[in-house]
Amino acid sequence: MMTYIVFILSIIFVLGFVGFSSKPSPIYGGLGLIVSGGVGCGIVLNFGGSFLGLMVFLIYLGGMMVVFGYTTAMATEQYPEIWVSNKTVLGAFVTGLLMEIVMVYYVLKDEEVEIVFQFNGLGDWVIYDTGDSGFFSEEAMGIAALYSYGTWLVIVTGWSLLIGVVVIMEITRGN
Amino acid sequence: MSLVYMNIMTAFMVALAGLLMYRSHLMSSLLCLEGIMLSLFVMASLTILNSHFTLASMMPIILLVFAACEAALGLSLLVKVSNTYGTDYVQNLNLLQC
Repeated sequence: MMTYIVFILSIIFVLGFVGFSSKPSPIYGGLGLIVSGGVGCGIVLNFGGSFLGLMVFLIYLGGMMVVFGYTTAMATEQYPEIWVSNKTVLGAFVTGLLMEIVMVYYVLKDEEVEIVFQFNGLGDWVIYDTGDSGFFSEEAMGIAALYSYGTWLVIVTGWSLLIGVVVIMEITRGN
Repeated sequence: MSLVYMNIMTAFMVALAGLLMYRSHLMSSLLCLEGIMLSLFVMASLTILNSHFTLASMMPIILLVFAACEAALGLSLLVKVSNTYGTDYVQNLNLLQC
């Protein structure tokens, strides 16, 4: 089972996505997105990307989802709809669930699935090794290169974030 | 291509379908947009980590930065709509309706 842990986590990822795409009330959609974010962090961690996985938790879940949470609390309705309280939401969720189960069944039956690409289960737990990387983590070195090779990228993103803040303040100022 | 990519691409398609078919809340569509960004982040991270393309490791972080910018802008528009109408129902956005 442990060799297929990444595949199981990606199934839970898809189920979380189906959970918020079937559109219950936004507070429950946020819950589905939090579950998917946590499981997506686990998938990235299993491939050896510790910094990128923690970025998902800190920046995505801890920053963006918190903002979504209190904006939802501001604009919510008196009786929020959970998945089982509305037939449309429940039907959409069950449809997505069935689609995922059918795809996983075909994968487990044939060992390979051809939808647009050809997916086979052979590369799941093998990461291609192109030589030794010494004693440092390649991914951390690549992100640290943001400040040496990617200086212009940092300047452009910083400036666009500043302009984004100015735009948001102008929008919410109104009149 | 390994099986994880099949599921991540499926998640992208599901969130895209959720974004294009809206029900009552504007907030649900913004959540589906965030889901699209999350699936793109995970797919890019897996591809970069699998192929040892070290210098491209900064790309998912930059993607996340711009996704945060976009989410904040969407939320500010939702706040303005909610201030005017009391809720964020998409049926309130009907000024251009004939």
